[in-house]
Amino acid sequence: MDFELSQDHKVLQSAVRDFVEKEIKPIAMKIDEEHMIPDTLVKHMGEMGFLGSYLPEEYGGAGLDMLSYAIVVEEVSKACGSSGVLISAHTSLCSGPIYTFGTEEQKKKWLPALNSGETIGCFLLTEPGAGSDAGGTATTYRREGDEFVINGSKTFITNGGYLGTGVLLASFDRSLKHKGITAFIVDLKSPGVTILKNENKMGIRGSYTTAFAFDDLRVPVENLLGQEGKGFNVAMDTLNGGRIGIASQALGIAEGAFERALAYSKERKQFDQPISNFQAIQFKLADMWTSIETSKLLTYRAACLKDAKKSYTMESAMCKMHASETATFVTKEAIQIHGGYGYIVDYEVERMYRDAKITEIYEGTNEVQRVVISKMLLS
Amino acid sequence: MKTLLIGEYREGKLLESTYELFGFAAQLGAETALLLVGSESQLPAYSGTLYLAEVATCGEYNPGLHKKLVLEAIQKENPDYIVFLHSSYGWDLAPRVAAALKTAQISEVIAIVPDGFEVGCCNAKMRRTVKPNSAKAVLTIQAGAFPVTQPGGTPQLQKLTAEGSATIEFIGYEPAEAKDVDLAKAEVIVSAGRGVGKKDNIPVIAALAKALKGELGASRPVVDAEWVSHSHQVGTTGQTVSPKLYVACGISGAIQHLAGMKKSDFIVAINKDKDAPIGEVADVLVVADVMQFVPALTAKLAQ
Amino acid sequence: MKLLVCIKQVPDLESRFKPNSEGLWYNETDLAWRMNEYDEYAVEQAVRLREEQGEGTELTVLSIGPDRVVEAIKKALAMGCDNAVHIQDPAAACKDPWQIASIVAAHAKDKAYDVIFTGMQSQDRGSAQVGVTLAEQLDFACTSTIVGFEYDNGTITAKRELEGGIKGVVKLKTPALVTCQLGLNVPRYPTLPNIMKAKKKEITAVAVADLLKEGPLATTASFHPPAKKGGGTVLEGDVGAMVDQLIGILKEKTAVLR
Repeated sequence: MDFELSQDHKVLQSAVRDFVEKEIKPIAMKIDEEHMIPDTLVKHMGEMGFLGSYLPEEYGGAGLDMLSYAIVVEEVSKACGSSGVLISAHTSLCSGPIYTFGTEEQKKKWLPALNSGETIGCFLLTEPGAGSDAGGTATTYRREGDEFVINGSKTFITNGGYLGTGVLLASFDRSLKHKGITAFIVDLKSPGVTILKNENKMGIRGSYTTAFAFDDLRVPVENLLGQEGKGFNVAMDTLNGGRIGIASQALGIAEGAFERALAYSKERKQFDQPISNFQAIQFKLADMWTSIETSKLLTYRAACLKDAKKSYTMESAMCKMHASETATFVTKEAIQIHGGYGYIVDYEVERMYRDAKITEIYEGTNEVQRVVISKMLLS
Repeated sequence: MKTLLIGEYREGKLLESTYELFGFAAQLGAETALLLVGSESQLPAYSGTLYLAEVATCGEYNPGLHKKLVLEAIQKENPDYIVFLHSSYGWDLAPRVAAALKTAQISEVIAIVPDGFEVGCCNAKMRRTVKPNSAKAVLTIQAGAFPVTQPGGTPQLQKLTAEGSATIEFIGYEPAEAKDVDLAKAEVIVSAGRGVGKKDNIPVIAALAKALKGELGASRPVVDAEWVSHSHQVGTTGQTVSPKLYVACGISGAIQHLAGMKKSDFIVAINKDKDAPIGEVADVLVVADVMQFVPALTAKLAQ
Repeated sequence: MKLLVCIKQVPDLESRFKPNSEGLWYNETDLAWRMNEYDEYAVEQAVRLREEQGEGTELTVLSIGPDRVVEAIKKALAMGCDNAVHIQDPAAACKDPWQIASIVAAHAKDKAYDVIFTGMQSQDRGSAQVGVTLAEQLDFACTSTIVGFEYDNGTITAKRELEGGIKGVVKLKTPALVTCQLGLNVPRYPTLPNIMKAKKKEITAVAVADLLKEGPLATTASFHPPAKKGGGTVLEGDVGAMVDQLIGILKEKTAVLR
């Protein structure tokens, strides 16, 4: 067993880190305050290949592996959780399923623009009445000639506000539950797509979380992703991969907060000594770091399993669950170490605390992750 | 012990920093000889041997020829140390001389210590003591590390000439660009904090900055209050700076400010509060009202 | 046309440095490594020249050190260098600038490089000697501390950064070596696709023993932190007296009033 990153992964990590230090970290506070990631940054991340890291070069991706992708999301999220989830949702939840389930024509048509960041991807599964329960999908479709006609609504759609490319789940017969679900590739600039609202959130405020209504959205038949009635498989497989992305995001947020807390504890003096001299602070740091390291091991392992084309369902659930709980724990403790300053926006740990919470909720709540893990243990 | 000191000329003038070489030689307790590529119309106040080559024929930057001149002077003087300033002229020429002699070069010497010379490393965070293995050694000394020493007198001139085709053609000088504030490059920063009182008092701080040939900096509250533009802000959300001199005027020293300036070489804090945290990083803490002390200091410096 | 850029891998300078067990250099444990910042500008300038010259131009990146320096080499390859030479030397940190320059010179002497780029100095050792010394050893024209670079048909026009922001403009004919100052250009980020492509570029490993024929000219006697600053001086009392005291201190302890 070798727990070291390969030299190539280290090169990648340090390249991403440099970019993040110079291009993202200085504006992370502004992204949060203005509820928006500047278009220039999105474009720049596209040019860097951050939006197509593990997709093959023949489709305009960087041709790297899942571990590289996890490192990219982690490093970006150290500075900005909003930018991290943009990459994660875009790659895992849109480019990912198109690559896995798409035909050669579909891959050639959609992936290059996604990988370059020319269009931003999203995943349209969640509905007002259906979250992790994909079988409850109420958005319906019918076939009319060479088109599918989609009606319904979707909510909590990360990256939705970019009106880019989406993988959308709809049912042709709600009574069939998950067996009636089909996946489509949709261009969200099409007629029939309405943004109901972009949500105002506690954290990851720079990331779009969009509610859509679809009123006779017409999709050509060649946009069918996989087979009719097999959309549930697409959704489940996509969420599996997506969990690695969210785990990486959570891991990054935790590391970002830890770095600040560690530095602050050495600088801040009380009673004529740095507060890191106090065991109360030392124990916090030890616990925080141990949680971060275990999260990292779980996350990297899940990524490596996916790269090795082995089953990773349980591992992705574990890393998502553990990393997200680590993120909320570490960011909370980071504020505590900062004392009153931690509660002030300037020190950024309060933003990280707000950003962290969602990682326990989206991409399957941690309760659902526990269901996944325990089911596999008991089956 | 004997040193051959290599002085500097730029744009027709003897550079004042040349006198730091004498300060170094004095600390070493060594005899001196000086080499200058300059002009007889501008001779240093120095009573020793001056090897003078005409700048009109040898150029201000012509490392090939200057190397020959230095080597010739070395042959005549047989010095133990050939000493340059660690400057754009010195660090360019010194390795050429050292390579020609195949002798040790020790760069950016900041102190003379019993077992050699002390030099900075790791971004000035650490020090190395280095000693030459060769009989002679080429040294470059850090600007400002040794005191300016004017030996006085009239030099005994020994004129040198050198010929040969230059491998480098010197085209000319370009003046420094007029820039908006670039605190990262400033050698002196005088920063205003809330203790300055009000926006109308900022010019008082700016005047001190000007008197010290430095830039105006500011703490975050002063920027937030729009007394000074953001480009002047020092601290974690502004710029991190490490000038040779940092003067904190009416800055109490919030951690985010300290993190942005504590690596400065020398820190002066002017504050009414003797216990202000800025005192922890300050080399000198002046306990005074900023608006009384600063104008007095500026006036004195102007004299 | 053949180009060479020499790079060094250095620790993150934000690190805390502790002397190693010999007390002659820093302890390498727990340090994060990166490409020397000055060398990033050198790589960028070399890659730009490589791109301008196009087909038939070959840009090699060279680094001396233990296996870890391959990380810096790969970054340079991802930035656009064509191939690399890794001179394997676990003890590179113990060599003096004369030896380092000699090793590179031994590699370069029969390679017919037209232009060699180096950083102006390393961030850790900071001797600012290797580039110029290498040029002397190879008998290349050389100028240092450049903040501007243009190449035209065998002639380089470079701007040297002098004190006070003044620049000196010089021309030199190839073969030539330039040492690069911060701000020369804006080094590009290695993109992920280029990191992937760099994996396929050739890195030739050479044992240092094959190239090193020179002994050190200088010896490091110790590596240590600077003497601790004493507690700060506190001035109190009459304003006029304090002004005089402060000016005295500034004259003595700093270079700014000279």
